[in-house]
Amino acid sequence: MAFIAVAFLLLTVIMPMHWLTDFAVFCILVLSFDLLYGYMGRLSFGHVLYYGVGMYAASLALVHLAPNPFLAIGAGIFASAVLSSALGFIVVRTEGATFALVNLALNQIGFWLAMSGLQAYTRGEDGLSSSVRAIGFLDFYKVPVAFGFMLVCLLLVFGLLRMLTRSPFGILIRSIKENEERVKFLGYDTLRYKWLTFVIAATLAGFAGTLHALVKGFVAPGDMGPLENARVIFAVLIGGAGNLYGAVVGGVVFETMINLLATNIARWEMFLGIMLLVLVFWFRRGITGYIADLAQKLSRSRGSPAERMP
Amino acid sequence: MISAHGLTKRFGSQTAVDQINLRFVAGQASGIIGPNGSGKSTLFNMLTGHLPPSVGKIEFGELDITALPPHERVGLGMARTFQLVSVFDSMTVWENLVLSTGRFADRGSRHRQFFFGPARSKTILEDCLGALERVGLQDKAGARTSELSYGDKRMLEIGIALSLKPKLLLLDEPLAGLSDHEIGDVVDLLHEMKQNCTLVIIEHKISKIMGLIERLSVLNDGVLICEGEPESVLSDPEVRECYWGKQVSNAEG
Repeated sequence: MAFIAVAFLLLTVIMPMHWLTDFAVFCILVLSFDLLYGYMGRLSFGHVLYYGVGMYAASLALVHLAPNPFLAIGAGIFASAVLSSALGFIVVRTEGATFALVNLALNQIGFWLAMSGLQAYTRGEDGLSSSVRAIGFLDFYKVPVAFGFMLVCLLLVFGLLRMLTRSPFGILIRSIKENEERVKFLGYDTLRYKWLTFVIAATLAGFAGTLHALVKGFVAPGDMGPLENARVIFAVLIGGAGNLYGAVVGGVVFETMINLLATNIARWEMFLGIMLLVLVFWFRRGITGYIADLAQKLSRSRGSPAERMP
Repeated sequence: MISAHGLTKRFGSQTAVDQINLRFVAGQASGIIGPNGSGKSTLFNMLTGHLPPSVGKIEFGELDITALPPHERVGLGMARTFQLVSVFDSMTVWENLVLSTGRFADRGSRHRQFFFGPARSKTILEDCLGALERVGLQDKAGARTSELSYGDKRMLEIGIALSLKPKLLLLDEPLAGLSDHEIGDVVDLLHEMKQNCTLVIIEHKISKIMGLIERLSVLNDGVLICEGEPESVLSDPEVRECYWGKQVSNAEG
């Protein structure tokens, strides 16, 4: 965790700070997706629905209730938790491609609602602006403050997920990924834990959405469009699925590449396509996966088998 | 302990298990034999909740468990192993035992430790190592499960089932694919388990478990054709005809 804090602070030397603020928010979204996909093996094409719900709930709270950042965060977390709890009952009953596509369908519906169905509240394509009042030193319009706040949020989410994934619960969701049927015969109601994991992942995505609304002061349907899922999936694959550090590394590397590509090349999407092919065919385990392999090889050539004891 | 009443399973027009009535008595070890495709595994899958029966009733003690999902049957004290050994290859050996030794699914169990406590804690590790010791795998606790031999994986699977502290353990061909030496180890373990657990064993290698079982049931084409003391069942003319006739080499091996 200290590694992440130090890395982000060091990156401020070579990158604009407002980039890194966005990266930190994006990394939270990627982390939440990694819990669902990397750890529990459930690939969703509609994860940003909950990011969008958090983002709109936060903006609406800022506009209609009070310009208080903590109220906005509370509203975003509450809305995404409630929605994912309800929809979770349906989606966790599906598997594989159906799971991915049911989520995509729900995401499409949410996107349409933001675009036109609930236009009266979301202002549709024009987007919704909001402003935040400063609380003491916490002024989101000051770039270092916003950066520091997002970094702390990232570290909190990382710490929470690290605790969850290292616990017996973490072993349970990895077991569900490998062989769900078998887990039932260990006495666990897998449906219940799949639902719970889905809700945790969606709520953290919603939290990332609220932070996006706070730091940008403007949200639009495009931020939660189904295509946005591709960015999250890319980031997890680059970093290495099923590894929390991988999610953060992938998030930073991917966003850096996008920012550099977009400033230098007009149509950069093709390069993303090529990159995905490379990832899928030659680089399956992502950056952290290969680092782990290397570390294991080194320790094996040096250490005795006894060192591998728990 | 567990009983089947008129249990039937149809797959389309095929009847895999046809009106079977069976009772496995508490404290006894029972064997089930039958040619391939005779419905043994289907019967097992219905008893453990893996497959819903088309017709019939299953009782555990006095309780009707026909509609109970697998995880609740485990809660009642039922455990099983699979025909093809089923362990978690992506994990280390000790991690395979965390969920079963911890029993975090039980009511009033330690939620805090389940969600937020590290799996690699002293108490959990001790429990896992204890369970591994019972099946002789304590030295391989830190190894990747995918690197274990088939026999070790079978031992690990039995270890997982045992750590659930079952009252009833159903084993689907526990000796299949093992070397003679490994068969000896598993049979010894089964003898030990029999002291405090009801066993039901599907096994082709009937000679290896003759000393273990008190009852033997024979299935053929989904029908229970004979049941009783192992010795007398094996000398039954109908059994000799339909089972031994077809599978002499396999059954005596």
